[in-house]
Amino acid sequence: MKNQQTDYFQLIYRLLLGVVGTIFIWFIWPFVSNVILMLVFAFLFTTVLLSSVDNLERKIHSRGISVLLITLGVLAGIGIFIGSFISQLSAQATEFSSRVDPTTLTSEFKALGERFMDAIPGFASGMVSSGGDFASTLTKFINTVIDNLASLASAVGSFVLNVAMILIFTIILLAEYHGFRKTLVGYVSNKYFEVGLRLIFNIEKSVSSYLRGQFLSAASVALMSVIGLIILNLAGANLTLIVFIGIIAGLANLIPLIGPFVGMIPAIMIAFMNNLGNEQAVAHMLFGVLPSPFFIFDIILMFILVQQIEGNLITPTLVGKSVGLHPMLVMIALIIGGTILGPLGMLFAVPATGVLKVIFQEIAFVRRNAHLL
Amino acid sequence: MKNAVWPNLFRGWNRAESDTVYTLRQVPVFKGFTNREFNELEKLVHHRNYSLDDFVFKNRAPGEGMYIIMNGEIKITIGTRTGDENVLANLKKGDFFGELALFDDEPRSANAIAIEDSHLIGFFTADLISLQERNPEMANKILFNLGGMLGERLRSTNRLLIEAQKGSDSNEESAD
Repeated sequence: MKNQQTDYFQLIYRLLLGVVGTIFIWFIWPFVSNVILMLVFAFLFTTVLLSSVDNLERKIHSRGISVLLITLGVLAGIGIFIGSFISQLSAQATEFSSRVDPTTLTSEFKALGERFMDAIPGFASGMVSSGGDFASTLTKFINTVIDNLASLASAVGSFVLNVAMILIFTIILLAEYHGFRKTLVGYVSNKYFEVGLRLIFNIEKSVSSYLRGQFLSAASVALMSVIGLIILNLAGANLTLIVFIGIIAGLANLIPLIGPFVGMIPAIMIAFMNNLGNEQAVAHMLFGVLPSPFFIFDIILMFILVQQIEGNLITPTLVGKSVGLHPMLVMIALIIGGTILGPLGMLFAVPATGVLKVIFQEIAFVRRNAHLL
Repeated sequence: MKNAVWPNLFRGWNRAESDTVYTLRQVPVFKGFTNREFNELEKLVHHRNYSLDDFVFKNRAPGEGMYIIMNGEIKITIGTRTGDENVLANLKKGDFFGELALFDDEPRSANAIAIEDSHLIGFFTADLISLQERNPEMANKILFNLGGMLGERLRSTNRLLIEAQKGSDSNEESAD
């Protein structure tokens, strides 16, 4: 009887604690969500770089210097990539602007619009808006961009600050990772100590293998895109910066659904810039049937093919296997993640599901062995 | 009057070996470690406190690693405390137990219970795997030492088995 009363008291106490905790999180969440997101990113970067830092530490016997060298190396790599990409792109843009004057560009746009409208079948032409030609649409778009420049500047400022904070968190986590883990495990009671250690170890394993899978998948997209672009060049697409386009497509691929479209944009822009004024490229027909000026639809088709190979063959094999999730569960997780947090949610959906799976497995394990703890 | 600046400036340079390192040095699993490696190991191991009658682990529980007694006393038993408890060993400061869990996923083969307030050092499979990534030399030394210990135990078990067989043969002969 007394035990039953104690159980009721415990239940009420736990319920109250749960309600107070939820209210507290509800109020405090808007203030801490940004920092938590930064920490999540920092944790993911730490997981990606941890094995490199550990390997270097093994050789030079200094954790601090290893962290510094790896961080500088990664920053230098990103800097060199962005720098050389921008310089090559600006060289391309300069060459483009010297080649084409604004009036030619407008007339090219007009001619292109007309040619496109003539070429598409009659039933489809009704679907295209007749509100204006390509040139005026482009002008409207540029005006909107200029109007939004101020908000763009503030967004860039906030982005730079966030990146700097994530970098600092990553450096601290990398330097103190093993100590942090030890401290975290230190808070677990004796009864659950070994289980806690096992849980952390399994979560680490799951997240790092997922990230490895994601990077392998991104690398495969980059490689397939480069190969596809080379094939298009052989067909006369006249594309440059193909390695950069491939790398961008691979990186963009880390964000599901949105990524593939982001990857197409630089390729289409470069195809347009390189082939403007080239009659043969403007009149190009995809498979001799569909008009594909500047090889635009060829490029889109090539990227769709790459995405299909990656999405149906590579990701389910590499990523699904790496976190031990069924491809169906990966898709459900992506949909739920996308509904809750948009593209960012999609980025985290699979590793988060992997972590949840590990936690549930460990809970089941603890329940099975509860009498032994 | 003695100047306090210099001793303060170089404080910790000639510091005495920590209690943890002192305890770890006595464990044959870490035989052949350099001072630097012991300092590395000190950063990796976990410190746990157990009160009198606390279980460190139970028989058949999943095992994750080994414990080294820094202070206190631990008894290794099989059976339950209600009556059929069989004490296999009483372990004291510097002794270690549970090292087989570093090798395999098999459950624990005995209970480990604190018979006084005890301070233990834990070294676990996750730590060994992490060490393999960061410092394979250290991890190899541990694995070689563990292998050597297991070989020695196997040899001594064989000796006991041979002696037991000889004993039973001579008993049979005398009975004939």
